[in-house]
Amino acid sequence: MNLHFVKKAQRGLFPILSLLIVLSFLLAACGPGATTETPAPTAAPTEAAAPTVPTEATAPPATEEPKPLPPITILINESPWLAGFEALANKYVEETGNQVTLNRTPFNGMLEKSRNAVQASESEFDILTLNEQWYMQFYADGLVTPIKEIDPNFVLDPQVIEYEWATRWDPELGYSSENGELYGLPINGNIMLFFYRKDLFEAQGLAAPQTWADVEAAAQKLKSADMSGYVVRANPPNWEFQAFLASYGGNVIKLDEQTGEWEVTFNSPEALEALNTWLKLGREYGPANYADNGQAEMIALMASGKVAQMVLVGAAAPDFDNPEKSTVIGKVAAVPVPGSAAGMNATMSGIWVMGIPHNLPDERKQAALAFLNWALSKDAQLFYAQSGAIPVRQDVYEEMANDPKMGWWMKAMADSTPFIHAQPRLAETPQIIEVLDRRLKQALISEITPEQALSEGAKEIYKILSDAGYKVKPLAE
Amino acid sequence: MNTPLNSSSVSKPPGLISRLGNFIDRTFQYWTIAPLVITLLLLMAYPSLQLLRMSVSEVDIVKGQAVWEFVGLKHLETARQDPVVPVALRNTLVFVIAVVIIETLLALTISILVSRSRHLVGLYRTVLLIPLLVPPIAIGTMWRLMYDYNYGFINQTLAVFGIAGPTWTADPKLAMPSIILVDLWHWTSFMFLIILAGLESLPQEVNEAARVDGASESQILRYITLPLLRPTLLTAVMLRTIFAFKVFDEIFLLTGGGPGTATEVISLYIYNVFSRQFRLGYASFLALGLAFIISIFVIFYRRVGQRAQE
Repeated sequence: MNLHFVKKAQRGLFPILSLLIVLSFLLAACGPGATTETPAPTAAPTEAAAPTVPTEATAPPATEEPKPLPPITILINESPWLAGFEALANKYVEETGNQVTLNRTPFNGMLEKSRNAVQASESEFDILTLNEQWYMQFYADGLVTPIKEIDPNFVLDPQVIEYEWATRWDPELGYSSENGELYGLPINGNIMLFFYRKDLFEAQGLAAPQTWADVEAAAQKLKSADMSGYVVRANPPNWEFQAFLASYGGNVIKLDEQTGEWEVTFNSPEALEALNTWLKLGREYGPANYADNGQAEMIALMASGKVAQMVLVGAAAPDFDNPEKSTVIGKVAAVPVPGSAAGMNATMSGIWVMGIPHNLPDERKQAALAFLNWALSKDAQLFYAQSGAIPVRQDVYEEMANDPKMGWWMKAMADSTPFIHAQPRLAETPQIIEVLDRRLKQALISEITPEQALSEGAKEIYKILSDAGYKVKPLAE
Repeated sequence: MNTPLNSSSVSKPPGLISRLGNFIDRTFQYWTIAPLVITLLLLMAYPSLQLLRMSVSEVDIVKGQAVWEFVGLKHLETARQDPVVPVALRNTLVFVIAVVIIETLLALTISILVSRSRHLVGLYRTVLLIPLLVPPIAIGTMWRLMYDYNYGFINQTLAVFGIAGPTWTADPKLAMPSIILVDLWHWTSFMFLIILAGLESLPQEVNEAARVDGASESQILRYITLPLLRPTLLTAVMLRTIFAFKVFDEIFLLTGGGPGTATEVISLYIYNVFSRQFRLGYASFLALGLAFIISIFVIFYRRVGQRAQE
């Protein structure tokens, strides 16, 4: 009988124990993920950790020295300018003794990591690196801290380029504007430049192109079986096309700051002229796979001597001087992106800004701002440019224009500043960009006509704005 | 003969412990699987309910907090007016139908040949399984490089013979067939694995009896092997259909949905709506819609299977 009882008890015990295990898992899952008193991230040796801090720097400071700031962690994307940023962060560590850890992330994971960070009880990152098409969402939703909240006396050096107010957000307008509050600080001044083969131009007696007509004339002369006259960026096409559009005096959308009313101008006559020019250059003077080239393919085409002209991000310039990648060293020149007429040049901002998450204790915010303040100083920016990154100060571009190695494209960057245009900067920008990319690609492969692409695109953008609650002027037919 | 009961022979009602013991004895099998069932239910039900809730809501993240707003069937209306949805659905269906049919026929042919082969069977199996072992990201990258117009292996090889290679992923007419070719390379081995296992489990006595009766090999295949293989084929086709509806990696890496909208499929569009446009509610609605369409196919296959059994 005892044996029977023991057996029964054993059988009863099994499900009870199993249930207890399951409940303990559930309780563990429901509990707080991390304590809210997590210490600030340290330079723990992870694979992503970059600049290391000399042991001396972390040693207890002498009594008269100022207290070191808490260590900071920066979320940064793996890009061609990462090496320059790493050098900059190392210099900061050397000069100040403050600790910096870099969390290097491929472009595709950046947005997800940034969003996860600002939704946590406390952000794991002290600084987020935000792309041109993301930061307005972070500004609009209050996910990064206004700089004046951290330091009420903060003044942005006027030499720092604001790229048509990519740094600011006006909550009343729901848009980036000059009168908006400062939310982010630029860290990478990517804009477009016009690259061309100066050796071929000189051989043909051609001057550097000022207008799209000049570009077409050169493309006609230089196109051959082995050489494309021009190549358009098809993956994705919106950024390059917006420069064409701006150079014809057009926009995708336009804000009347007096009335706060939006107007969709993607179907304007200027837009049609711009689209026809872009399509003609791409189809008639491009390679056979003109509808399939992204930035990487375009750089490869120019570096291997297969194209005479293109509009490309300024950061690509060092690739053409790199003996490991380029067969055209010293043969490529750069100027501001041409316009529909002389003086109508237009380049699009495609910069990165750094923002400080809203969910950080004050001392971590102060430490993050101290780094950014230092990083935007002229000396730091000069060092940054010399290390292969793209600075954000006008005086640095002007000084670097005389650099024997990089001057050829740094001068073009300096000359382009007056022509910088902004992409639409709304919380709904990613939706608008999706429409632009889809309609432009359809037009490029002749799936629809240019008129249809602009008209259908304009209707979709109008709907996006109306659905989001903006005041929008009726769409022009 | 009935024996009258006296009071001493009437058994006492069982005690509490005894009754509990009996109850545990009777229900022991359920208790043992209960923890697993509860865990699975919690793991499956909670995300599903959350997805359902999101599909009828607008979700925004403000100051780090998720702000939910119930919008009813608004996303259905958005989907009806969304010009990408019909294109993506059409492309998805074309892709699914093409790859499922071609891969099934290819895998069936290869399985029959391998099962009849007397030599190097192990080698064939190993070689044919390699594509299944390669990570999708590597497959996409590898084929992207092979398809490259200027530097790709395929066009370079064609150039040796004086043939100008086409623009594989840039031509709207060639882009989808190019994607399908990559998928055939990747997934035929999956179908092969299942069908070969089914073939090898078939009783050989029936085939031998048919041969004794004078049946030819093609008659054995048509009237014996294929009917017996039908349940295996149905399972393989159903699984492959589910996976094909969810195609993402290959298209994301090879064409990104282009050129134009030539290879835009529904899972890629859901990714874009969710991850790039951050429209959580609408993306959830589209995801539920895709799950619904897949369910229709699964029910269809089950019906076909049941009818075949009858």
